[in-house]
Amino acid sequence: MAESNKEMKSTTIELATFYVGHALCGMDILKVQEINKLMEMTKVPQAPDYMVGILNLRGQIVTIIDLGQKLGLGKVEISNESRNIIINAPGEHVGLLVSKISDVVMANPDRIEPAPANMSGIQGSFFTGVYKTENKLIGILDIKEVLRIESDNLGRGLER
Amino acid sequence: MSIEDDEILQGFIEESLEHLADIENDLLAIEEGGADIDVELVNKVFRAAHSIKGGAGFMGLTVIQDLAHAAENVLGLIRSGKLVPNPDIINVLLLAADELQRLIEDVGNSNAVDISSHTTALNMIFENGEAPAGISKNPRPERAPVAPEAGAAEASAEEMTEPEPQFNAEIVEVIEEMPIDIEDEPMDEHDFETEHTAAAVEAAGTTARRAAASTQKTDTSIRVTVSLLDQLMNLAGELVLSRNQLLQTITSGDVRNAEAVGQRIDLVTSELQEAIMLTRMQPIGNVFNKFPRVVRDLSKKLGKQIDLTIVGKDVELDKTIIEAINDPLTHLIRNSVDHGIETPADRAKKGKDVRGLIVLKAYHAAGQVVIEISDDGKGLDGDMIAEAAVKKGLITADQAKVMSEKERINLILLPGFSTAREVTDVSGRGVGMDVVKTNLDQLGGSIEMDSEVGKGTTISIKLPLTLAIIPCQIVMTGGERYAIPQVNLEELLRIPAAKVKERVERVGDAEVVRLRGNLLPLIRMADVFGIDPTYYDPVQDETLPDRRRNVADRRSKSTPLFKDEDAPPAEPRSGEHDRKRSGVERRQSASSALNIVVVSTGAMKYGLIVDRLHDSEEIVIKPLGRHLQQCQGYAGATIMGDGRIALILDVSNIARMAGLTSLDGSERASELAEAAKEAITKSRDKQSLLTFSSSAHEHFGVPLNQVERVEKIKRQDIEEVGGRRVMQYRGGSLPLVSIDEVASVMPLDDRDDLLVIVFRLAGKDVGLLAIGPIDAIEVSADIDDITLKQPGIMGSAIIGSRTTMLVNIFEIMKISNPQWFEDHAAYAEIQADETQAPTILIVEDSNFFRNQVKGYMEEAGFNVIEAEDGRVAWNVLEQQGNDITMVVTDIEMPNMDGFTLTEKVKGDKRFQHMPVIALTTLAADEDIARGKAVGVDEYHIKLDKERLMESVHRYTKAAMAA
Repeated sequence: MAESNKEMKSTTIELATFYVGHALCGMDILKVQEINKLMEMTKVPQAPDYMVGILNLRGQIVTIIDLGQKLGLGKVEISNESRNIIINAPGEHVGLLVSKISDVVMANPDRIEPAPANMSGIQGSFFTGVYKTENKLIGILDIKEVLRIESDNLGRGLER
Repeated sequence: MSIEDDEILQGFIEESLEHLADIENDLLAIEEGGADIDVELVNKVFRAAHSIKGGAGFMGLTVIQDLAHAAENVLGLIRSGKLVPNPDIINVLLLAADELQRLIEDVGNSNAVDISSHTTALNMIFENGEAPAGISKNPRPERAPVAPEAGAAEASAEEMTEPEPQFNAEIVEVIEEMPIDIEDEPMDEHDFETEHTAAAVEAAGTTARRAAASTQKTDTSIRVTVSLLDQLMNLAGELVLSRNQLLQTITSGDVRNAEAVGQRIDLVTSELQEAIMLTRMQPIGNVFNKFPRVVRDLSKKLGKQIDLTIVGKDVELDKTIIEAINDPLTHLIRNSVDHGIETPADRAKKGKDVRGLIVLKAYHAAGQVVIEISDDGKGLDGDMIAEAAVKKGLITADQAKVMSEKERINLILLPGFSTAREVTDVSGRGVGMDVVKTNLDQLGGSIEMDSEVGKGTTISIKLPLTLAIIPCQIVMTGGERYAIPQVNLEELLRIPAAKVKERVERVGDAEVVRLRGNLLPLIRMADVFGIDPTYYDPVQDETLPDRRRNVADRRSKSTPLFKDEDAPPAEPRSGEHDRKRSGVERRQSASSALNIVVVSTGAMKYGLIVDRLHDSEEIVIKPLGRHLQQCQGYAGATIMGDGRIALILDVSNIARMAGLTSLDGSERASELAEAAKEAITKSRDKQSLLTFSSSAHEHFGVPLNQVERVEKIKRQDIEEVGGRRVMQYRGGSLPLVSIDEVASVMPLDDRDDLLVIVFRLAGKDVGLLAIGPIDAIEVSADIDDITLKQPGIMGSAIIGSRTTMLVNIFEIMKISNPQWFEDHAAYAEIQADETQAPTILIVEDSNFFRNQVKGYMEEAGFNVIEAEDGRVAWNVLEQQGNDITMVVTDIEMPNMDGFTLTEKVKGDKRFQHMPVIALTTLAADEDIARGKAVGVDEYHIKLDKERLMESVHRYTKAAMAA
């Protein structure tokens, strides 16, 4: 075990960081397929409220999730700076709408600390950890959790 | 075993299955030929068996090899003319071919299968020249349990793990990590490893088996001719060239050239599309080829003689469709054999050829493929079908009367219908034609039946060529575009603003439109999807928010929707909008026209109200993401010419979401509406009643305008909870009562099919349990409110020579659920003492209605003075006008009608502040306008107690305060 830890120390991961409202979040850059600013979304009536709509990405239908809504930070305002982060989820592409893209940060996995139960009002369950740089705190998103479908709530709402 | 070997095995499987597919039909042909042996044909079958034997031997599949060998021996005898094939021999061969097929589909386990019954039979034929008795009676020998033979298991295990390289890698990893842990425990390393591998192999085996099972249904690979592939390659090359040209043109900015390049790309893409579609096309023969065997086996079992003729095997259809029509077609063919064609004895009696004929035909027609199944059997009797449908409650006797013969025959497709008198294991297995229809509906196909008694039946199925690209109607609602598949589209309907009032009506809580004499239920798309309602203004070319709630209202045809416009706006709105309103009256402008897409889905047909109708377009269906799977209204999405996405609507789910449950539900509602409407227009002072029963000999009626809906339910839908009966209804619980709970009438009949008449009382829905037949009639008959009056029954009338009791639903609910009414304003009783209680003058010529209204008022604590016409009422007012708080009057009365009375009241200084409520069955615009002109304060439909009492309370309170 000790050996493997040593090995991991030498590797750093790159975090793509972005703002959701005022919260700085990050995710492993390898999970990002692309970032775009296509905002011509088609609304889907009856969809869960965290869904902004669907988008045509070169012939693929991409579901766009408002990350702000999903994390409980309020709607992401669509502006010149807002972007979609397209993630290659199993079987489909999903886009996360964020307020603003920030830098790519080289992170030492050792220094990622477990996420506090609530981080500036966000549900802790959406984060795998937090990463401290000299002047900023980056919440690292648990993409799986973000993309998980709350089928219980949704199912009930749509039954009959 | 290396991957190369795996490929060889795969090749062997594919080839063998192809051989087997042919063998079946060839064997049937040989059987038909009998002693007159077609050597070529026998040779072909012989060679097929031979090559399977050879291949199996090479792969070490001994069981397959043995079986193929035994079959080959018999075929050899036939080929050399030493054996004359008779049906028994062919039967044995066919069964052997079936077994071979099963073995090859599950090659991994084939060596462990017991095939002795087949080989013995074949060998007996080979040695004795005749088939042993008994084998044909056991057509599907149970497969022997897989023997735990070490050798076989290992061989199969090896094959099975092959396609799972990931799994292997995992195992290796696990094993590599092992030594570290194992050091602590005194465990035999070797043992552990083998145990682990064995488990893994077993797991891998299961997944492979599952994979094999699924491939049986849908093949994951497809055979495409090389020439087609070459063509695709060519086109792809062309496309790349065109792209380069396009890029060049864009950089150089040469506009003229761009046009040419655009055309070229257009051409190439359409050709490419066609070519790619071709790869998915397969001959329908793939499905048809199995039917000779099906017909042969079945007719033998049923003792019938049937020939099957197949035409149009080469017609090509999309692979997915070919796969999906297999089951429905099989069902139809079996039906024809079982129910269509008569027994030889019957046929001889009728002077027909003893051999029946079934023709299976496929051909192209109008861009669709038509499959026809016709037989020369006994045909379908429309009258009998209609009778059965009526008996099952699927349609009413009146409906049946007006149906054409063809319509009656097609009733067989209704859900819950099956003509088979008894369930046979051949086709009447509890599932009927409706399942076939549902399957075809899913494919976007349609089915139609045509039949003549004694001559035969023809079933035509129409199918689209492909599912990948479908023509769709594009519509717009709430500023977004949506696509409706053309197969669901019946017609487009635009009702001009001026006609909306006339043609759109309200039944209960549903809106309907009059379409060529029929009533069509309407669904507003915005309502179903919870979109903010909008309308499109063609003059300004923009979409604006809409505040209309109802398109129509039966009570007053000038409808709340137009009343809205006079009322002050509920919320502040943009100045631009206000200007628009004051400018052109919207009800007259084109923007107020209704755009309706009439769609049909299986058994039901309805109109979907949308903002705008666009063109029809060919679209490519794309699936929606996981997050949208729960949104039921969509069948997928598509990308439009401008790059934006449009959602494809699933019309049957929309109907479900809107609560439009089934054909008879909506049709029945329309009929009732029709009856109600006629009652209103024809005679102006008659009461429309909904009649029903509760037990076989007692008949009941309730005023039709109190009824919200009539639902058909099954007994098992009723739940008994907390001592009360309820059922699930629109997402909530609907309390159910029956008349016998309150009134002393016979108990509710114990039967499976029940009706629930839904009323709305005290702000809640309540269901009254009843049984059919229900009918809507209008009565002008004298209503006797003495003889049969009792709690829950307000009186009786003679309707159609039967004494019909009139149900007082308010009383029933008040007795069975008194707490319901306690906190409801309309039922709050006046607490003051007699002298201070408001006095109400009721003017009504009908004894019955007068007593009813009087009852309501007195129950609520009011003092009541009665008058039987306007003149009497006026006299009463003259004499004791000061005591009277308000007037409730009928309109149609002898001597002096309600309008004149109101005019007099409002024109007299003494009474001009006295509120007048008109109680009427008239509710046409002109009447309401006239009423308003003479000063009627409010209109009420006769015997809508709920609303009447509410406004009586309101007005008396105001009048008392003054």
